[in-house]
Amino acid sequence: METNDTGKNIIIAGVGGQGILLFSNLLSKYYLKLGYELKISDVIGLGQRGGGVESHFRYSTKPVLSPFIKAGDVDYVISFEQTETLRFLHTLKKDGVIFSSTYELTSTSVNTGLQKPMPESKTELIKAADNKKYIINPDEHKSADFNISKMMNVVMLGYYAEFRGYSHNDMIQIVKENVPEKFVEGNIKAYEKGADIARNNLAAK
Amino acid sequence: MKTGKELGTIKMMNGNEAVARGAFEAGVKVAAGYPGTPSTEVMDYTNLRYKDIYCEWSNNEKVAVEVATGASFAGYRSLALMKTVGLHVAADALGGAAGSQINGGLVLVVSDDVGRIAGDDYNDCRHYGNMFNIPVLEPSDSQEAKDLMVEAFEISEKYSTPVILKTSSVICKTTSKVIIDENYKYEAKFRDKYPISFSKVIMTTIMTKAKGSEHPKLTKCFNDFVANMAQLAEDSNSAHYNRLELNSKKIGIITAGTPYYYAKEVLPEASFLKLGVINPLPKKMIQQLAAHVEKLYVIEEGHDVLEKNIKDLGISVIGKELFPKFPDMMRFTPDVIAERLVPDAEVRKPRTDVPFRLPIACAGCSHNFISSILKKHKIKAAADVTCGLIGCFPHMESYQLQKCMGSSIALTHGYNIAKNYSENFVAMIGDGGFWATGVNGLMNLVFNNSQSTVIIVDNSCLAMTGGQNVASSEFGFNYKPENRLDIAKVCEGIGIKDIVTVDAYEYETLEKSILNAVNAKTNSVVIVKKPCVTQFKLPKSEPFHIEQDACVKCRKCINVGCLAIESKKNNDGEFEIVINQDLCTGCGLCSTVCHKDAIKN
Ligand SMILES: Cc1ncc(C[n+]2csc(CCOP(=O)(O)OP(=O)(O)O)c2C)c(N)n1
Ligand code: SF4
Ligand code: SF4
Ligand code: SF4
Repeated sequence: METNDTGKNIIIAGVGGQGILLFSNLLSKYYLKLGYELKISDVIGLGQRGGGVESHFRYSTKPVLSPFIKAGDVDYVISFEQTETLRFLHTLKKDGVIFSSTYELTSTSVNTGLQKPMPESKTELIKAADNKKYIINPDEHKSADFNISKMMNVVMLGYYAEFRGYSHNDMIQIVKENVPEKFVEGNIKAYEKGADIARNNLAAK
Repeated sequence: MKTGKELGTIKMMNGNEAVARGAFEAGVKVAAGYPGTPSTEVMDYTNLRYKDIYCEWSNNEKVAVEVATGASFAGYRSLALMKTVGLHVAADALGGAAGSQINGGLVLVVSDDVGRIAGDDYNDCRHYGNMFNIPVLEPSDSQEAKDLMVEAFEISEKYSTPVILKTSSVICKTTSKVIIDENYKYEAKFRDKYPISFSKVIMTTIMTKAKGSEHPKLTKCFNDFVANMAQLAEDSNSAHYNRLELNSKKIGIITAGTPYYYAKEVLPEASFLKLGVINPLPKKMIQQLAAHVEKLYVIEEGHDVLEKNIKDLGISVIGKELFPKFPDMMRFTPDVIAERLVPDAEVRKPRTDVPFRLPIACAGCSHNFISSILKKHKIKAAADVTCGLIGCFPHMESYQLQKCMGSSIALTHGYNIAKNYSENFVAMIGDGGFWATGVNGLMNLVFNNSQSTVIIVDNSCLAMTGGQNVASSEFGFNYKPENRLDIAKVCEGIGIKDIVTVDAYEYETLEKSILNAVNAKTNSVVIVKKPCVTQFKLPKSEPFHIEQDACVKCRKCINVGCLAIESKKNNDGEFEIVINQDLCTGCGLCSTVCHKDAIKN
């Protein structure tokens, strides 16, 4: 774990139904325990259905002022949907890091033929970004224990915690305390899976 | 919220939670409101956490303000909750309360949907402060949301006036810390000062005639609200909720709400006047700041309300000439301020080639059945403000007319009388819109001898705002089965001649019912029943799939508006029309539009 971490600016992105708010809620508990100041601002797009969701998550040793992070000030973009990842690439600091799922929910405008699909592969566009990036393809990590397409949020939490060198025990404790009883087991499996994928990815880099 | 480690009296709350907490700490007894993004959850949290407070979802915002006003006259602190478009509905009720004698504090919690984050814009509730000459308070974070909520009640009682606490989509949905007094014991605050409270129209009528009379029968009618507001304006120069931060002499900024934090982050050296009460303005503080700095800016979300009011005080300030208003600018962000006020600021722009997301209905939504049938039979229609208004978007093209909540019935009546019923033009309205104000349109249509058809989408809740109860729901804060209103019975009582109730998923029956109603030479109502699949988590049937060999990619199925149908690249890089198996509820609607019989289950 980074010593003297004075705080970070994180954008968490995806589409409705991906559990972005749960992700930021769980993460907030962790930083609160460490005594950080926090501001978390959720932007939910037009209609809850299939719209984009973004959460501006800021923790700091000093009081956090703006609820929105200025483009160029973002340390991490954590995205559960790759179209949304592309929407936020410009916000990253030069040394900012991308965490992105390759999952894609085609935009309605493309589905209905009102807009042309992007000609390039979105995954390749993300790979071509100047920033450091960690890409997770949920299809490569299917598990019998949980539905990865529904639990990418907790998988990503495990991944992020491993990347940051955080205590998995503390994090799992937070998961236990904050998800309904009957989902705890599946969530812990998903969390551990995320941490696992991260260990392999990080070792490979 | 539990964090494992005891955090003492610091809680993390979003703005809506903080406002609810503020109501609790203010000793509010009655909370009435009407749902509207982004502030709906104020009521949910109040009802969930502060059981001492009576909560109700009223039929509409006007009713909510009237309920709160009655409770306030009874001596108890009361709040009315709505979004800004709701205040348009309630404006007459607020106008009646403004200027009149207030016993228990009366606070309207009104939320602007700035930046169109959740769907509407062009509205700014602060105008009502000017129009009715009443105070408007605006918090910048959750702590202030709680504190100003308490302050709002103090101001309401001290200056005998209703008060607007203005929040915004950003305040409502931002979580930050709030310090709570754990030892606070709830007590409903009571104040019984005035034996009467009449609207200022009555008051003015009496007083104009009775100038100079000291007769108590006359004086008790009089509430000098103009003087009260002038007093508040004077007092606000030294009030703790307005704060002057005198720093650099170069730039001075007058601001309120979250824009204060955007500006503070981008321009930490600047001098600030941070307003908690934005109407009336603290003239002396503004003059002091103006004298201190070379350039004075006003940074305000929404319209140029502060700017105009400051200029009216005779103080010049730079505002919309530098920061153009919606729709030229969506909303303030730190970026917008940096771009204009920080020399050489690095400007980052998003990619412009990432496709946008249009709203779409949930898989299995009953609205899709109706819009599909209307389109199929080329029946023109007015849509109400419901989840079904998705049918107005260009991929659906099911509706020709759409305005405000509850409007579609009267719109249709007007259209049909003007056109002498020469076209098939019907109304579609949700159960919420129906009870809110639509029922008035229906009564109007009957006694004015209209032959129009109304389709009422009875999904047992206000779905678009997250599933709150309506008069015909089988749940709700104050629900009792015997008090439930029945849509069909009410329609019958009003005098509708032809009423049918159908299950949305019975496609053929629904189609026939709509056609029959349209062809009937009388007024008619088709009640389409199906609980909202998302709010009530209805069980799913076997999902459908598309047989790629048979599919010709005509996209007809996509245009039924179901979230589960996508066009996607397959492994060979070719586009296919596919059904997302996780999302599909198996309602079967898409299969009714496929001419190639490619959609199977
Ligand atoms: C005057 C006004 N008040 C509140 C709202 C917020 N609002 C938008 S849709 C909606 C609920 C609509 O419910 P209903 O008519 O039952 O349609 P449904 O979404 O359930 O299909 C509400 C309350 C609004 N747009 N306008
Ligand atoms: S929330 Fe309910 S009414 Fe609204 S689109 Fe979804 S299923 Fe339809
Ligand atoms: S309607 Fe039928 S043929 Fe047309 S895109 Fe859909 S599945 Fe294919
Ligand atoms: S059957 Fe068709 S319309 Fe119904 S939910 Fe599935 S994909 Fe959507």
